Amino acid sequence: MNKGEKIKYFFILHLMLMLYSMSGIASKLAAGTKFLSFKFCLCYGVIILLLGIYAIGWQQIIKHLPLTTAFSNKAVTIIWGLVWGALLFHEKITAGKIAGVILVVIGVVLFAKADNETEKEQENIKAVDEK
Amino acid sequence: MINRQMILYSCLLLLGVFISAVSQVMLKRAAMKKYPSKIKEYLNPLVIFAYALFVGTTFLSIFAYKVIPLSIGPVLESTSYIYVTFFGATIFKEKITAKKIIALIFIISGIVVFALAG
Repeated sequence: MNKGEKIKYFFILHLMLMLYSMSGIASKLAAGTKFLSFKFCLCYGVIILLLGIYAIGWQQIIKHLPLTTAFSNKAVTIIWGLVWGALLFHEKITAGKIAGVILVVIGVVLFAKADNETEKEQENIKAVDEK
Repeated sequence: MINRQMILYSCLLLLGVFISAVSQVMLKRAAMKKYPSKIKEYLNPLVIFAYALFVGTTFLSIFAYKVIPLSIGPVLESTSYIYVTFFGATIFKEKITAKKIIALIFIISGIVVFALAG
């Protein structure tokens, strides 16, 4: 894959992750409405729509980008949560929250890398077994 | 920031994350099976139940958001990696490596720092 294509899918990946994080906004908005009221159903519809677009987009992305890249970048949704909370729901961003988010993001990236390594190892074992 | 109500509703979200992980396991098991037709791949009890569970978790998180702030949602959702590791090892015979454990320690300490210092 050439560089332009890679950048394109990387951009789509982040667009999808942003949409996914926005389903949280819809959940939070739904939480402020009466259960099964019109507004609730509208928010719920948006949640399902966003999750649906994300699921389809994700399937396409992992065909074109390495799984480690895709899964590592998923950590960005935690940062989006902090941003949406502050922008839309007046939640405070504190040093403690930022420190917590940094730790979780590091953990998620490390996990994606470790998962990729074990998968490769298992594929190698399989290949040897088949021989 | 921490009070009893917040802890209770956080636990609801955590329960949702756990149920969602269980539904993922079901979908993965379903994907590993062979089905006689494309329609049966989707319309079989295991897949339908898994999706029903998933829908249930969306309601759980909405309910949890009545009390907890939006910013902690994705942080709590990262507990899914603990279940992925556990189910991966017990059901799908995937290895738990030292690197994975270190990654999980980072995730868990991040959640604790966020909850206590945030």
